[in-house]
Amino acid sequence: MTADALEPKVPTRMRVPRRFTAKHYAAVAAIVLVLVGLHAIAWWKTGFSIKELVDGWQGLWHFLVGRDQTYPNGHHVHTKGAFPIDTRWGATIKPGIGYCFLTVCIGLMGTTLSIPFAFVLAVVASRTTNRYAPLYYLARALMSVLRAVPETVYALMFIAALGFGAFPGVIALTIHNVAVMGKLWSEVMDEVDQGPVEALRSAGSSSVQTAMHAVFPAVVPSLLGLLLYRFDTNVRSSVILGTVGAGGIGFYILQSANGFEFNTMMTYVCQVVVLVILIDLLSVWLRRKVAKV
Amino acid sequence: MTVLTTSAGRRAALLAVEGLSKRYGDRVVLDGFSLDVAAGEVVSLLGANGSGKSTALRCIAGLDRPDGGTVSAAGERTRLGTPIPSVAMVFQRIHLVPRRTALDNVCAGALGRLGFRESWSSYAFPRALREEAMACLDRVGLADRCHEKAGRLSGGQQQRVAIARALCQRASVILADEPVSALDPAAADQVMRLFRSLADEDGMAIAAVLHQPDLAKKYSDRLVGLLRGVTAFDVHPDRLGERELEELYRPDMENES
Repeated sequence: MTADALEPKVPTRMRVPRRFTAKHYAAVAAIVLVLVGLHAIAWWKTGFSIKELVDGWQGLWHFLVGRDQTYPNGHHVHTKGAFPIDTRWGATIKPGIGYCFLTVCIGLMGTTLSIPFAFVLAVVASRTTNRYAPLYYLARALMSVLRAVPETVYALMFIAALGFGAFPGVIALTIHNVAVMGKLWSEVMDEVDQGPVEALRSAGSSSVQTAMHAVFPAVVPSLLGLLLYRFDTNVRSSVILGTVGAGGIGFYILQSANGFEFNTMMTYVCQVVVLVILIDLLSVWLRRKVAKV
Repeated sequence: MTVLTTSAGRRAALLAVEGLSKRYGDRVVLDGFSLDVAAGEVVSLLGANGSGKSTALRCIAGLDRPDGGTVSAAGERTRLGTPIPSVAMVFQRIHLVPRRTALDNVCAGALGRLGFRESWSSYAFPRALREEAMACLDRVGLADRCHEKAGRLSGGQQQRVAIARALCQRASVILADEPVSALDPAAADQVMRLFRSLADEDGMAIAAVLHQPDLAKKYSDRLVGLLRGVTAFDVHPDRLGERELEELYRPDMENES
């Protein structure tokens, strides 16, 4: 063998077979067409109009900085705008903090009350812990139905039954959260490593024992993480619930808006922003701690 | 060379498997597989991937339900597809609960004989069980690591904890599915020595699927080769030649073409 026979050669080339056929392209074109069509209909149905937004700048301006109106009879009306925000400590900021606290309380109660129900539903709705198919499907169906109704609608129903206040808000949050958290938890249990489950089964343990000793130890950190995430979400939801009359800061945002006190409203909105950021930071921090358990 | 303890003679079989068959759809995995393991005997099952070794163990342990055949353990016919206390399984991927302590994992081997009041949580385990589990951990040489979380132990240590769990189950037969495939050579050797001593000193019957013919020869009393769901050979380790091994691990011609 000669030396130049060992020289690395430039690799030869080979035609790459076609990956996509005309069928593929047709399918992609069809999907794009359908999507564009749907958006066209949605645009038309919602009356979306950039022109109206531009023409309405005056209204937006009035909302932001206020408005002076002088009627032909000489009557003068001044409406306060959102800015500068209302900085009265005693009349706005201090009670606002109290309302925020109530909002957190509603979120906390709604989350905690749902724990036992969500847990039972999750255990029944997971293949790992429940091998009895009819109950499994029943639990899944129940959660789907409960989840399909938004918290706000529950709140409206319970306000109609119990009157305005934080309590119907708590009930509304609880029901919705049972369904959502039950679903999230059951998915975590479904994804647990089946190895230890099988190992304990081969040692003759029952379904309940297997759940207690192989499934739960593995999923507890994930369940806690999801619980904290739901608490975070529920506090946000409880702000919205307030705006339909279920107590907390949301209720006062609605009231000040209805009373054209946009500066007070904006103060409350700022407080909500601070509250949500704080709860989010707390939840992230706690979840990180929990993940290390 | 380690001097081998010779075959346990003609003692009564602790594990007797007759004519086990299993198919998944059209694919026949086990085709009348039979196996006897006597007290004090270590038997290694050899075979290529897909030869039915693992399925055989899972069917014997009651994790899968075989289509036919009989399994007797400690002289008693077992119900097919139902786990039995006298047969314990050890897995390649070990399958401990990583967040629980070694001791709690060992205690879990006893779940089959505990009522709900003693087993609803690991805090409810009775003291007698904890002490028994401690003795099992000591038997595998890990008594000093009892309160360590299983996930913190090395692979070899974890596999020994899993064997302690089998002991705590009070099993007389251990089925081991590639127990050392995930371990380094030293840890693998240690685990195999442990199996050997459980057979020699405690009279247990051990059946292990192994992918390492050398380890199998070194520690077993008998080698059983599986080929397409049936026993290809059943020989003393000294009698296993290159020819049998080649036959066993020859690439499947039907799949190759």
